[in-house]
Amino acid sequence: MTFTMDTNRDCARAWEAMPSVLQESASSEQNAWLMDHLAHCQSCSEDYAQQERLRLALSLPADIPVDPAVGLKRLLARLDAPVPKPVVQRVRNGWLTRALAAAVLLQALAIGALGARYWSESNNPAYRTLSQASAPVPAGALHVVPDATMTLADWNALLHSLNLQVVGGPNDVGAYTVVPSGAPATGAPTLQKLRATRGIRLAEPVASVP
Amino acid sequence: MNEADLQADATDRMLLERMAAGDRAALGVMYRGYHGRLCRFLSRLTRRPDVIEEVINDCFWIAWQKAGTFHGDSRVSTWIMGIAYRCGLKALRQHGDEPVDEDTVPQERLPSHDPGDDRELRDWLGKGLEKLSVDQRVVIELVYGVGHSLDDVAVIMQCPVGTVKARLFHARVKLRNVLPALAGEPARLKEGAP
Ligand SMILES: [Zn+2]
Repeated sequence: MTFTMDTNRDCARAWEAMPSVLQESASSEQNAWLMDHLAHCQSCSEDYAQQERLRLALSLPADIPVDPAVGLKRLLARLDAPVPKPVVQRVRNGWLTRALAAAVLLQALAIGALGARYWSESNNPAYRTLSQASAPVPAGALHVVPDATMTLADWNALLHSLNLQVVGGPNDVGAYTVVPSGAPATGAPTLQKLRATRGIRLAEPVASVP
Repeated sequence: MNEADLQADATDRMLLERMAAGDRAALGVMYRGYHGRLCRFLSRLTRRPDVIEEVINDCFWIAWQKAGTFHGDSRVSTWIMGIAYRCGLKALRQHGDEPVDEDTVPQERLPSHDPGDDRELRDWLGKGLEKLSVDQRVVIELVYGVGHSLDDVAVIMQCPVGTVKARLFHARVKLRNVLPALAGEPARLKEGAP
């Protein structure tokens, strides 16, 4: 069997034309040309038969069991799940980093039980390291942990509206120590307002040292 | 694009509009409609059913979120296959490319009542596909399995049509050389023939 230049070129053209003919997307001219070539060329005819078989094999359904009903149920459940906010990235270098870390820590440790101990100005050295408030704390002082989503502007506006000023913090558990500025201390209402403010994760009176 | 394709795309667009409006029933219809072809497409990337389900769900999670941003530059099916392709590659990076030799494991576990012809055909195909790169397997599946045009495949894989052509060409040549001759047909006698 000898291949002339023409035969080679035709065979290359035939090879190129096979996918679209098999897909039935080829023009009728292209289709007719290929069929004619195959009728005269044993080699391309064999190739075409193999390509046909390949297409048939590839069109068999997947042989891996994946249940669409189960998958869809999981997908719908996922749509209902809360979208995790990328807050950590947003504040990674921000002023709230330590407050956020502290808040997460507090959540993990259960705020009620352990938090109270952290807030107290205990003389127990084991807890001292958790508090950076070295100086005596003024009366009416509060510990406040802002949420990571709170902007610095909102934080400042909140302090301003409640006549509070920051005198310390954030400490190692992320609490800022704030005290009433100027106006007489209005402890309980201020505390309630803080707690009711969106973006304030925690507000506690600083335990008075006996 | 033939009549059936046009009709299917019109239906898909309608479903996508409803999804953009938050219609979960439309999502369900779309999900079931594409599940078979996505399963087979993804089975060319991995043999793990859990990964396949994860990728399908990632794909439809994105389609659900982005349904409103679909502008109709392509067919909906092309758009969805593109999302599935990218989710599939991401899953491969996360779970590691499944070792090729695993390809034969599920087939060996298949019950014996699998129709003989299909079984033989799958084995034959499996021998060939394991010799291809991931992108070559993807192209051959999209063109021969799903029936996408080369232009569609270029959109799905976000590469030039020339690249798709080259991948298809090399995949086919490789398959021609490694796949055994058709059963029941005389072996090629090119060299030995008088
Ligand atoms: Zn030929």
